[in-house]
Amino acid sequence: MILALEGVRARYPDTGRDALAGVSLGVSTGELHAVLGPNGSGKTTLIRVALGTLVPAAGTALVAGRPAHRWDRRALARVAAAVTQGEEMPFPQRVRDAVLLGRYPHLPPFAAPRPADTRAVSEALAACDALELADRWMETLSGGERQRVRLARALAQEPELLVLDEPTASLDVRHEMELFERIRGLVDTRGLAAVVITHHVNLAARFADRVLVLSGGAPAGSGTPGDVLTRETVERVFDWPVTIQTFDDRPQMIPLRRALPSPGST
Amino acid sequence: MKWVVLVGASLLAVLLAVASGPTRIPLAELAGSPIVRDLRVPRALLGFLVGGALAVAGTGLQALVRNPLADPFLMGLSGGAGLGAVAAIALRLPGPWALPLAAFAGALAAMLLVYRLGLVAGATLDPRVLLLAGVVVGSFAAAITTAIVSLSEAEQLRNALLWLWGGLSGASWSTLAVIAAYLPVPLIVIAVSARPLDLLGLGDEPAQYLGADVAPLRRRVYLAASLLTAAAVAVSGVIGFVGLIVPHIGRLAWGHRHRTLLPAAFLGGGILLVLSDTLARTIVAPRELPVGIVTALIGVPVFAVLLRRWVRA
Amino acid sequence: MRRSSLRWWIAGVLVLAACAPRRRHPPVVRAPAVTDDAGRAVALTAPARRVVSLAPSSTELLFAVGAGRQVVGRTTWCRYPPAARSIPVVGDGLDPNVESVAAVHPDLVVLYQSPSNGAALAQLQDLGIPAVVLRQDRLADVARDARILGTLTGHPAQGDSIASALDVVAARRPPVAHTRVAYVVWDNPPIVIGAGSFLDEVGRLAGAENVFHDLRAASAPVSLESIVARNPDVIAVVDDSTAPATPAFAARPEWRAVPAIRAGRILHLPGDLFGRPTPRAAEAIAVFARLLATVR
Repeated sequence: MILALEGVRARYPDTGRDALAGVSLGVSTGELHAVLGPNGSGKTTLIRVALGTLVPAAGTALVAGRPAHRWDRRALARVAAAVTQGEEMPFPQRVRDAVLLGRYPHLPPFAAPRPADTRAVSEALAACDALELADRWMETLSGGERQRVRLARALAQEPELLVLDEPTASLDVRHEMELFERIRGLVDTRGLAAVVITHHVNLAARFADRVLVLSGGAPAGSGTPGDVLTRETVERVFDWPVTIQTFDDRPQMIPLRRALPSPGST
Repeated sequence: MKWVVLVGASLLAVLLAVASGPTRIPLAELAGSPIVRDLRVPRALLGFLVGGALAVAGTGLQALVRNPLADPFLMGLSGGAGLGAVAAIALRLPGPWALPLAAFAGALAAMLLVYRLGLVAGATLDPRVLLLAGVVVGSFAAAITTAIVSLSEAEQLRNALLWLWGGLSGASWSTLAVIAAYLPVPLIVIAVSARPLDLLGLGDEPAQYLGADVAPLRRRVYLAASLLTAAAVAVSGVIGFVGLIVPHIGRLAWGHRHRTLLPAAFLGGGILLVLSDTLARTIVAPRELPVGIVTALIGVPVFAVLLRRWVRA
Repeated sequence: MRRSSLRWWIAGVLVLAACAPRRRHPPVVRAPAVTDDAGRAVALTAPARRVVSLAPSSTELLFAVGAGRQVVGRTTWCRYPPAARSIPVVGDGLDPNVESVAAVHPDLVVLYQSPSNGAALAQLQDLGIPAVVLRQDRLADVARDARILGTLTGHPAQGDSIASALDVVAARRPPVAHTRVAYVVWDNPPIVIGAGSFLDEVGRLAGAENVFHDLRAASAPVSLESIVARNPDVIAVVDDSTAPATPAFAARPEWRAVPAIRAGRILHLPGDLFGRPTPRAAEAIAVFARLLATVR
């Protein structure tokens, strides 16, 4: 297993409650795991623990057999790559240079980028269908294009594990589907392990091999989408009435309408 | 190609500084003149090192706090150094090295205080806290300095202020030797951090996932940049503007990658300060202008020209 | 009949006594009026009895013209003559505290002419306290201000005599300059005295040529290189301490490029005589000439 979390309990300093309580997750190469949950359920915290930026108060988080927070960051970046939710753009740069940043874990401190690095950049861009964007400036890209470039950067790290935090936020249906198809393709053809944090129940259900549902930091279900995503679980976790229908052998949730309490009532 | 130009310009600037001055010395006699040997050469070389150090410190700090307006002196160091120097003058501390040592000590004290305050928000030295701490410490030191200065005689007041405005008058072979021995370590620390500094711009988390160990990186770069600045202030007072503008000129001409930006900034800062000092010594000879004024007068037009060309591109 | 003639006798004696010739000296002006160094007309209804002096040189002048006992306030730095030290301090001379000045109920305030004192001047005018703005850079200024202060404080004779003495000193033909001097006030950046200063004048009258006489200002920062190039015979520093030691900057390597520093030819000029323009100019010149002789 490339990523193994066992009974993880984690909390942020100076907060009163656990952000994660008793969470386990096991990811092997060639698997796409989705971590589902409403806002604030501890999904981003899970990434932090998994990639060693937050030390768990209890339990273990192992990457390739070693505790995540004990990894040297450069070495870890050669094994695991992350596409985070937010990112600042410090200065204007071309797409090619932005993706080159993904080669940094491989570059010695003073050497210039080598031909192998330039090749890796082009290959990563091609895998994300973004090669034609290579010479564009980052600020001129659309949301969908930018996500492709960030994915390419992660791929340029040549990782075994890919972690994506809400990668489809603010993308339209075409770009959402394309992104998931791409990740699915990378997992199937390159044998990557992928963990995708999302609150899109349906996308997770369609594409993931396994699903972990978090609610308030605690696990609310772990297993195949069909096993985990029942009406009871989804309604409880997301606090909204839904109905589940099957499509393509996968559960798909349809939210039901419900009248909101009127302002004058108790 | 650009490097050839830059290195060539550096050599030219130093040679010009050695050949120019309030005293007319014919080229043939340059090598033998005691003025050239004992005053101009060490001064030109010291100016180059100080300018380079300030520019590198500025580049590092701007990356560190993700703020293009960061300047080595913004972090409270000029306030601390000024306080140390003014205290040394007011207390009439003995010895020829009292002033530089007191300024250095003051800058170090400010650095440690800002560092300590910065750590309060966590081990990663949050840039906003760092900036705020720097401004606060600097203002506090400046307030005490003003108090001391206002209580002193008119003479001391004027002398303290003139020292603060910066200048390379104190240059000698000994000062040069001390600085040349001191600078390499902090410079190398920042140079080695070039790649991680590129990553910092993305934000702390993305930078970590790309392999940057953010907390130690910030501490290292902050301390190294502050040590560079403290040394610069100790030997030449507060020469503003170099640390602020040269990194930007470097970025406009060289791009944002610190691997090439840092050496370019070093050379650029050296050239700017040496040229400014040469002008400061010669325009109103035998009088001398405070060099900080000249760096601003030269630096701003250069920056404006480059900015327009970049915007148009 | 007898008593009335005695009264007439006494009256007669008194009248005769009143007509006797007096010593010739200028009459005490009832309502002194002068023009000060800022070109302002200063007019008092009577000679000032309660003077606040906000400049050390003016304090010294006030004592010199005999008005010492009329001074009711001074600055921290007014320490000469020693008698001045018993006068209460009312604050600074630059940007003074007008409230503490007003608290001693002065009928005249002597202000140092400087842009920093603009606000104070306005405030004193608002309070109705007469102010006289003075500044001495050269001997002629000291002479003029001696007359001004003498008139304003009811000692015009003494003011006059000091002024005349200074005019005589200033009008002396200076001896042929035999020593080239640079007056160093500060070392980093190097600040030297120029032609606009009292020191330059006193030195010239003592036989010293200021190598920076071409600088018009009273003092200015110069490049160390110019000091080396102009190669003065002697470096003069103004010292406040009673036991003058080699100044700290003389040990710095870059200053040792100056031949006079290397050879140790450094003159120490006592601060209370050379630190600012003083009516004791004649004494200053003599002391300076003596000091110059020691390094010739």
